[in-house]
Amino acid sequence: MTELRVEGLAKQFGGVRVFQDIAFALPPGGLLGVIGPNGAGKTTLINVISGRQPASAGKVLLAGRDITNQPAYAVSRLGLARSFQQTNTFKSASVSENVARAVRFGGRGAPDGLEAMLAEFGLTQRLRENADKLPYGLQKMLGLVMAFASGPKVLLLDEPAAGLERAERQLIDAYVARVRAVGTSVLIVEHDMDLIRRLCPRILVLDAGVLLADGSPQDVLARPDVIAAYLGESEEAG
Amino acid sequence: MPVRWRLLGWPELAAIAILALGFIIPMFTRSVLVYSVLNQIFIGAVAAQSVWIMLRMDLLSFATPAFMAIGGYTVAIAGEYDITNAFLMTAAAFILPALVAIPLGALVLRLRGTYFVLVTFVLAQIMQLVLFLTPSLTGGSNGIAGVAPVTLLGMEMDSNRQVLEFACGLAIIATLITGSLTRYFRQHFAAIEENEILAESLGLVVWRYKALGFIVSAGVAGLAGYSLVNMLLTAHPSSFDSPTAVDFIAYTIIGGRASILGPILGASALVYATNLFGTHGQYAQGLYGVLILIVVFVARGGIVGTIAALLRRRR
Repeated sequence: MTELRVEGLAKQFGGVRVFQDIAFALPPGGLLGVIGPNGAGKTTLINVISGRQPASAGKVLLAGRDITNQPAYAVSRLGLARSFQQTNTFKSASVSENVARAVRFGGRGAPDGLEAMLAEFGLTQRLRENADKLPYGLQKMLGLVMAFASGPKVLLLDEPAAGLERAERQLIDAYVARVRAVGTSVLIVEHDMDLIRRLCPRILVLDAGVLLADGSPQDVLARPDVIAAYLGESEEAG
Repeated sequence: MPVRWRLLGWPELAAIAILALGFIIPMFTRSVLVYSVLNQIFIGAVAAQSVWIMLRMDLLSFATPAFMAIGGYTVAIAGEYDITNAFLMTAAAFILPALVAIPLGALVLRLRGTYFVLVTFVLAQIMQLVLFLTPSLTGGSNGIAGVAPVTLLGMEMDSNRQVLEFACGLAIIATLITGSLTRYFRQHFAAIEENEILAESLGLVVWRYKALGFIVSAGVAGLAGYSLVNMLLTAHPSSFDSPTAVDFIAYTIIGGRASILGPILGASALVYATNLFGTHGQYAQGLYGVLILIVVFVARGGIVGTIAALLRRRR
């Protein structure tokens, strides 16, 4: 039984191939990491799975149901939510309104653990503040809380730790634990290798739109082709 | 989360209270000029609410005159068949433009930003063409003159005061409709206005609310058209010319787009100011232009936003 299954997924813009022949399965409550250098197609993969952009080929199945090329709202209502790389909230609305909108638009009611999550991230005492008045880290966490508040069965996280300070990144661990505690499956795209090693029992490596490796972090990150494609480039760039 | 979903809030109630002055003022004056200005304010306020509904979703629509024409001509044509019942005509003036808006919405609501603005402007132009090219139905370039006055409970509303009171009543009905829609779906519209992509990714069926807004906006514009034809007792293409959309947009932006009070106060202030110009009414567009520049550069919230900011500062 899988919650999310991707089969032969491909995306191209005109003549430019972003990724091709991507396949993986995510079991209920499972956690899968996706890494790859910039431009590997990770965010586009999330966009295509979540209905933001149409697939050029392949299938996306959510709990056995074909959701390929369904509009984003339909995919969300069927139980697949996503977060965004940049802070993405309703900036002129209060924290409370932001979360209430996510719950209402999701149409499944507030998930268990939402109140506790707000408290853990220090948002409970800031419910009346406008989202754009929050510090960057809290805005980012609010966006993540909203994705969870829509009550998904599968959650796609697009670089949740990007832009967060080292201490704030620990919150991502707590967030993922709370999300998984209610049985939600998580796919996490991330550049922070420490976070990926800590959280993910299994990772995929995308390079230039091709699935380069699939396995445990220990095995995958030791592979010379992965080091060359991703980690090597990071070290040079860093 | 402590977010309430109510049907009417204090801005809507305040708006209705302001409009209800139209029933009280005639007790103190019989001035034709005052009645005329108030009539124009009511018509402008209703038309501006039609614009405002779409602006709640960050869509600037120039289609208001087109839907006003449908509402206005519906009443004028019905009058030729001696159908003048106020309740029936109010329903028809709302429903017919709303029905026409359904297929048009399916076409134009795929667009955003500049393209939406352009296409809605073209809709108003096309409506002019339709009016001129269907003389057997609409009177063509002559329009329909001598429209029968509205009858309410068997009584002909043909005196200046009755026309004003009827315009006032229509404005209140339009405000109740607009207020209920935008208050009940406030969070939905605000989410679309601010971050449509996020709203959709959270599961909001954006097209459904845009369509609903467009349809109701058309119906409200139809009521403005009814009020206009009832005041002039004539339905003429020039009354629904596409540049009049600029006036209604100006009312909304200068009044303030954050609250339903904006289009009402904007229409009141600008119609009054235009009448102050007296014989120089042709400079009204220039006045609107200058005021829009002031709002854009100095007071983004318009009249209502500026007053609200001043009140907050004083607290």
